[in-house]
Amino acid sequence: MTDEFVLTTCPFCGCGCNFYLVVVDGRAVDVAPCFTDRISLGRLCIKGRQAYEFIHSSDRLTVPLIRKDGKLAEADWDEALDLVAERLSHIKQANGADSIGLLSSAKCTNEENFLLQKFARAVVGTNNVDHCARLCHASTVVGLVAAFGSGAMTNSIPEVTEADCILVTGSNTIEQHPLIGTRVLEAKARGATLIVIDPRETPLSAQADIFLRQKPGTDVAWLNGFMNVIINEGLADEHFIKERTEGFENLKNTVANYSPEKAHEITGIDAEQLRDAARAYAKAGSAMILYSMGITQHSTGTNNVKSVANLAMLTGNVGKPSSGVNPLRGQNNVQGACDMGALPNVYSGYQKVADAAVREKFEKVWAKSLPDGPGLTVVEMINAAQAGEVKAMYIMGENPMLSDPDINHVRRALQNLEFLIVQDIFLTETAELADVVLPSACFAEKEGTFTNTDRTVLRVRKAVEPPGQARPDWRIICDLAKRLDGDSFGYDNAEAVMNEITEVTPSYGGMSFERLDKGEVLAWPCPDVKSGGTKFLHKDKFARGLGCFHGIEYQPTAEETDEQYPFILTTGRTMFHYHTGSMTRRITLLDHEVPTGYMEMNPADAKRMQVKDGEMLQVKSRRGHIEIAAKITGRVPQNTVFIPFHFVECAANVLTSPVLDPDAKIPVLKVCAVSVEKKS
Amino acid sequence: MIAPKKNKTKKVGAVLVIGGGIAGIQAALDLAETGQKVYLLESSPAIGGNMARLDKTFPTNDCATCILSPKLVEAGRHLNIELLTCAELEAIEGGPGNFTVTIKVEPRYVDPEKCTGCGLCAKVDVPEPEDIIEHDGEHWVKRINIDEVKCVQCGDCSRACEKENPEKSAMTSVYEQQTHAAVAEPDQAHSAAELKKVREMSEQQRREYWAEQMEKCMKCYGCRDVCPVFVDAECRLQDWAVPGHLPPAPLYHIARAYHVAERCTHCGFCEQTCPSNLPLRTLVDFIRHEEPHKLFTFVPNATEKQKTKIIAAFPGRKEGEASYD
Repeated sequence: MTDEFVLTTCPFCGCGCNFYLVVVDGRAVDVAPCFTDRISLGRLCIKGRQAYEFIHSSDRLTVPLIRKDGKLAEADWDEALDLVAERLSHIKQANGADSIGLLSSAKCTNEENFLLQKFARAVVGTNNVDHCARLCHASTVVGLVAAFGSGAMTNSIPEVTEADCILVTGSNTIEQHPLIGTRVLEAKARGATLIVIDPRETPLSAQADIFLRQKPGTDVAWLNGFMNVIINEGLADEHFIKERTEGFENLKNTVANYSPEKAHEITGIDAEQLRDAARAYAKAGSAMILYSMGITQHSTGTNNVKSVANLAMLTGNVGKPSSGVNPLRGQNNVQGACDMGALPNVYSGYQKVADAAVREKFEKVWAKSLPDGPGLTVVEMINAAQAGEVKAMYIMGENPMLSDPDINHVRRALQNLEFLIVQDIFLTETAELADVVLPSACFAEKEGTFTNTDRTVLRVRKAVEPPGQARPDWRIICDLAKRLDGDSFGYDNAEAVMNEITEVTPSYGGMSFERLDKGEVLAWPCPDVKSGGTKFLHKDKFARGLGCFHGIEYQPTAEETDEQYPFILTTGRTMFHYHTGSMTRRITLLDHEVPTGYMEMNPADAKRMQVKDGEMLQVKSRRGHIEIAAKITGRVPQNTVFIPFHFVECAANVLTSPVLDPDAKIPVLKVCAVSVEKKS
Repeated sequence: MIAPKKNKTKKVGAVLVIGGGIAGIQAALDLAETGQKVYLLESSPAIGGNMARLDKTFPTNDCATCILSPKLVEAGRHLNIELLTCAELEAIEGGPGNFTVTIKVEPRYVDPEKCTGCGLCAKVDVPEPEDIIEHDGEHWVKRINIDEVKCVQCGDCSRACEKENPEKSAMTSVYEQQTHAAVAEPDQAHSAAELKKVREMSEQQRREYWAEQMEKCMKCYGCRDVCPVFVDAECRLQDWAVPGHLPPAPLYHIARAYHVAERCTHCGFCEQTCPSNLPLRTLVDFIRHEEPHKLFTFVPNATEKQKTKIIAAFPGRKEGEASYD
C-alpha cells in the first residue's frame, strides 16, 4: 500500500484554498486541510472537503466518442482527432475562420486557457474565443477598467479581517465564498461594522449590523443615494478626489438628484437606514466593498460596477490596505482564464487585440499572422450559431446547456451547428449534443496553475492518473494543433507553457513553477523575478493614471413585471452545489444535502396562492417553463422568487432572459419576470 | 509496555511485584537482594501506599514514616528494582517461571527526575479544583495525576512550574506533542477561559450564547472530518441536521460533542479547522464537566422548568422556522 499527500488547489470557488489530496494506491480517498495555507488556514467548506469524490466517479469519460448514425460511439484518439482536424479545416476553408467559435473554461488551468486562446488565434485564425466570465464578471472587467484601469479585486483576501467597515452587496458570501465569509465574520468579531445590502436574506445578513433589502435591479439608485448622503454631509475625501481622480463634477451633478427619499421610492430601502449605512461606510478608517453576481448580472451591470467604484473613490477607500472594490470571482480560475486572454478582445494580460503593436509582438512570438478586431462573446456566439454564421464550436470544459440564459434557445443554436466538439470530464448536457466528445483530465490529474480571486497564482499538482484514455486538456490542444499546424505547439509539459506565458504577459513576468513550488505567494502584477507580487492595487497611482468618476443615472431593468408575469425571478447558487452540478451532484454528501432544485417563495405569497411547502409548481417566463418544488421561506421578499441554477431537471436558465448589458455583453441572469401557477 | 518474551519454556530471572505499598516494597527489596530483577508495579503516581498516611504502627507503636522512608529510598535507588508507576496490569500469559505480562502505563505529565514536589502546580486556579484535589496532604500527587477526562489543558499548572524553576520545568505540557511545526498553537488558555465564562452564565445567558455561536455554523462537517476520535459509523452526523438547511439545528453540535466528549484529546483541530471559529472545544469541555447522567435524566411529561438540563442549556428552534426546517 502506498499513500501520499499532494498539495493542490480547490477546484470549486474563487477563494483558492489549498488542501492536500490523500492518495492511497493511486486513488484519491480524502481531502486533508492544509493549516499553513494563507487563504484557508486549514479551514475548508463542505464542497472543498468532499472535492475528492467525483474524481473516481464511475461515469467519468474515459474514451473519445464520435457521433455515428445519431449516436455517440466509442472511438480511439487518432480517429477522433483526425476527424476534428479534418472538419475544422474544411469549415475554415469553406466559410472563413470566423465561422468557428471556441469556448475556453474557467475550470481549466492558466496554461490550458492560454493554449486554447493561442489555438484559436494562431491556428484557427479567429478571435471568437470566450469563456464563462462573460456570464459572471464581464461587467466588472469593463466597469473597473473604465474607472481604475484594472478589472480585478483591488485588495487581497487576508486583508478582509483587518477592515473597519465591510459593505457586502449582491454577494451571498458565506455560502458562495465561505473562506472569505469567515474573514468577514472575523472582522466583525474584531469590531468592524458589517453592512449587507441584498434583496435576499443570506447567512451573512443574519450577522450584519445593518441589513438593507433593495428591489432587485435597483442598485444604481441606492448607490447614488449613498453618495448623495456622503457629499451632502461633507464626508467625502476631498484630498483623495483632488489628487487622484477626475470627473468628480459629473458625479456630483448626477447624484444631487438622488436624495435618500428618492432612492427609497425606487429601491424600497428606508431613507433613514440608508443614511446610517452611508455614514458608517464613509466614516470608517478603512472600508472594503465586496460584491458579486448581484451587482454584475444585470442589463445595467457595467453601470452598477462603475457606481461601486465611484463610492470607493469618493471616500478615498482605494489603494490602501483593507479597502478597495473587491469583486469576488466565482470560479476557481475565472480570474486566470481572463488573465490568459480567453476573451474575444484581449490577449493574455489584457493586451488589446485591436492594438497593432501588441498584435505585432504576438505575431513575432508565435510566428503567425493574427486576426484583428474583437471576436464574438459567449451569448453572441450562440446567437450567431442560431443564425448560421458560426458553423462549428469547440467547447472546452463548459456547459452552456445549463449555465447560459434561455437554454431552449441555446439548444436550438447548438443543434444548428455543423460540427460541435466538447471536451469535458463528464458527459454533460452540452456534450450529449456534440459530434465529437474528447475525455479530459480533472484538476487532480494534471499539473498547472490557477489564479484565484485576489490575483494570486496557485499551483495545481497531479495526484492521480486520468481514468482510461483521458488526457489533460493542454495535451489534447497540442495534439490537435499538431494535426492542423505542424509543430508550433511542441510543449513537453505545463511548465513549458507557463514559460511562454511569462514571456508574453507583462503582469505574469516574474512567475515560474519554481518560485511557486518554493511557497512564494505571487499575486499579479509581478513583472519580473525580483518582484514579490502585489498585495493591493492602485497604491500611489491608478492603473489608468487618474481614477475616473462616472455620473450614472438609474435605469430600470430590461424586463419588468406585469400582470401576466407578476413575480421577479432571481437566480443563484446554494452552499452545497457548484454551478452546473457536474461535479458536486456526483458527491454523496452534497447530493444528500440538496438532491434537487427548489424555488424559494415568500410565506405571504404562498399563503395568498395557497401553496404548501414542497408542492410542485409550474413557473413560466416569456421563454419557457419548468416544474419545480416550492420552498416557503422568508429569505426572499414578497413578489420575488429564487431558483438555484444547478439542476438540469428544473433549470432556472430555461426562464432567464438573454438580454445583454450593452458594454460588457453580460446577460441579465439576476432579474426576469415569471408567473407561478399551481400544477393542475 | 514490556515486550513479550518469545521463548515460553525458558525460565527468566525476573519478578513482577504488583502493588507498591509497604508489603510490595519489602517483597521487592528482599527479592532484589537475592539477585532477581524486580519490576515493582504501582497504579498511583508514587509508591508508599497507605502506610504513609499512618502515625503509629501496631504492635511496636513505631513511627510509620520512620519505618517506611528508608525502604522507599532503598527501593528507589536499588539497581535491581525498576519502578513502574502510573501503571496497571492488563493481562498475564504463560506459566510459572515464565510469565508475559501486558502493562498499561498512564501518561504522567511530570518528569520525576526534575520534580521537586513544590506543589505549586496543584495550587493554580482550575475550573473545578475539587475534582482534582481529593485529600489534603496529597496535593501535589493529585495534581500531577491529572484527571484526563476533566483536564481542559489550560496549561496553568505547567506555567506555574516554569515560574518556580525557569531553568528546567518539570511539567511536560501535553499540547507540546500535538502542535504542527508551522502552525499557531491552539490557544489552550483561551479555551479554558471560555469554559469558565460559560459555566458561570445563567441558563438563559448560556442559551443565548450558544444560539449566537451556532448561528454562524457553515455545516462543512470539518469538525467531524478532522477529529481523531470521532467515529461516524456510530453517529451519522448528517442525520442530525436538516439536509440543505443552514445553519444546522443545535442538536447537530450537541450530538457531535457527546460522541467525542469522553475520548477528546483536546488537540484543538476541530476549532482550528472550523471556518466559523465556533468554540467547539468549549462545548465538549462543558459537557464533560456536567455529569452526563444529570444532563440526560429524562422526565416524562416535563414542564418547561423540569426539562432535562441538556435541552434547557441549548437554544431551541426559532419561531416561524418550522415551516421550512
